[in-house]
Amino acid sequence: MPAQTDTLLRYRPWRGTLRGPLAASWAMARTSFRLLVRRKLFWGLFGLAALIFFFFFYGQYLVVWIQIQTSNQTVLFGGLPVKVANLTKFLDRLNLNGTPHTYGNFIWFEGYIVTIILALAGSVLVGNDFHHGSLPYYLSKPIGRRHYVLGKVLAVGLVINLITTLPAIILYLQAGLLYDWRVYYVDHVRQLVGILGYGLTLTATLGLLLVATAVWVRRTVPMVMVWTGLFVLLRAVAGWLVDGVKLDARWRLIDLWNDLYLVGLWSLGADFSTVRPIPQPEVWEAATVVGGTCVVCWLYLRKRIQAVEVVS
Amino acid sequence: MTDDLLQLDGIGRRFGDVVALRDATLTLPPGRIGLLGPNGAGKSTLLKILMGLIPPSEGTGRVLDQTLGGDRDAANNWRLRRLIGFMPEAEALVPGLTGLEYVTLAGELCGMPRRQAQRRAHEVLSYLELEEARYRKVEQYSAGMKQRAKLAQALVHDPPVLLLDEPTSGLDPAGRDALLRLVQELGTDHGKSIILSTHLLADVQSVCERVVIVAGGTIRGQGTVEELCARRDDRYRLRVQGEPARFKDDILGEGVRILGEAATGDWRVQVPPGWSNLAFFKLADVNDVVVRELVQDDETLEELFLRTIAN
Repeated sequence: MPAQTDTLLRYRPWRGTLRGPLAASWAMARTSFRLLVRRKLFWGLFGLAALIFFFFFYGQYLVVWIQIQTSNQTVLFGGLPVKVANLTKFLDRLNLNGTPHTYGNFIWFEGYIVTIILALAGSVLVGNDFHHGSLPYYLSKPIGRRHYVLGKVLAVGLVINLITTLPAIILYLQAGLLYDWRVYYVDHVRQLVGILGYGLTLTATLGLLLVATAVWVRRTVPMVMVWTGLFVLLRAVAGWLVDGVKLDARWRLIDLWNDLYLVGLWSLGADFSTVRPIPQPEVWEAATVVGGTCVVCWLYLRKRIQAVEVVS
Repeated sequence: MTDDLLQLDGIGRRFGDVVALRDATLTLPPGRIGLLGPNGAGKSTLLKILMGLIPPSEGTGRVLDQTLGGDRDAANNWRLRRLIGFMPEAEALVPGLTGLEYVTLAGELCGMPRRQAQRRAHEVLSYLELEEARYRKVEQYSAGMKQRAKLAQALVHDPPVLLLDEPTSGLDPAGRDALLRLVQELGTDHGKSIILSTHLLADVQSVCERVVIVAGGTIRGQGTVEELCARRDDRYRLRVQGEPARFKDDILGEGVRILGEAATGDWRVQVPPGWSNLAFFKLADVNDVVVRELVQDDETLEELFLRTIAN
């Protein structure tokens, strides 16, 4: 009888049922995400994102506590008696009150962390596949190009939703518990759908944009430069053109993050009259830019991945 | 339903005006097959067609009963790739993953459930003697380990066909021998059909039963190594005893070519058309030498290859 180790070292056939290529996309997303969370730098950035979340989380709690417990109390402020409710008026600007703007603002602020993470993650998630020739490994398997792109976009989506959508949903649940939850969850169900819609928009747009730019530049430093150009430089230029030179509000459309914000606010059902800075382009114009960006990225990806030689 | 590994009937492929492959007609039974050809011969195009990565421009074909053709993302082509384990020539590693994760991911990409892929990755890595290194990152592997990791990812879903593209490139002689032994064992002991695409004739000779020679976009020859190499009846091994100088001049004068000389009076010769071997004995008698050995000499694979592509 052969020894156990001998049996282990022998080749053994595998009999099982293979699943469809969509399962492969999910496996790819999971593995790419795992590669990302192994980097200490990303934990630092996740920490920053958590700080923003805790600010909103405890901010919502604090505002409600002030409103309920101390709003009618008077305290001495600089020797003068002032109502607590007047002292905390600045909190209104932050909209820490479970309204669409609460979630819109939260995702806006988290956006800074998201863009930094994605700029640094591009080469790990996608660039390496081109730079180190891993793409033939993927494309020689029983999957299509769209499954490869889907896998990578899903990985980006995991990062984005972990930082934006998931905490926003927690804020939504918290807001319901702070107010009358039966009334809040029923009356504000649109906001829950809006949070998911905003997350989906961010996932699709930033996912495709990241994969496309990473396929284009591949390395981390150029990736950061392109990303900075897109989200910092273009925003500054848009602000200067609209607020400084007083050109048409449509010039703000070159600020992609602002376009995503407008689409997100629309999906949350927010009141646009309070959106700052003003003037802002129409939502449908912002949506067209966002949709156009996705289409351009998809076409570019199709072309680049099609050109990859699995057998060289 | 057929028992053949592949059947190609007039398969051709054009890229614009360039004809990369023309009229490839081929029927191959399962086994270990060497695909030989110089650069630009059409080998890569043939491999791509066999994997369903590009459709043929003309002709029809089947690989393991799957019809060739259609876009690379079409269902018939990804079903075909499920039956094939491909080991690319390019490095094709995913930096940051351990060997185990790399092979597990390959299994999942082929459609294996996660736990089964993991278990299978352990088995395959152990089989390929990478069990000690399975938790190390693949970019830290030596050249030989990288090649074995690539073989493991091709093998993880237990495909009936392995398509190996230059599997021994960059390996030292010991690593090369070890890898070729594994490949041969997979074919002989575990019933895998192997298509080995390489420039190294020695690799084909040590592993393959059959050879397909591709040159100039056409299939120039195919058959078992023995068949192809023994097909010529104009080559002999000739050994004489005595002073061979004048005898050598005489046979050269009769149109005999000396292809190689192992020792003095020990030659590999090619005789002209219409030659009678009796002439060797007559010339030996005239020149006072004794013919000690005159046997038909098979062509080496290298000679066969060079002659085929020269034609």
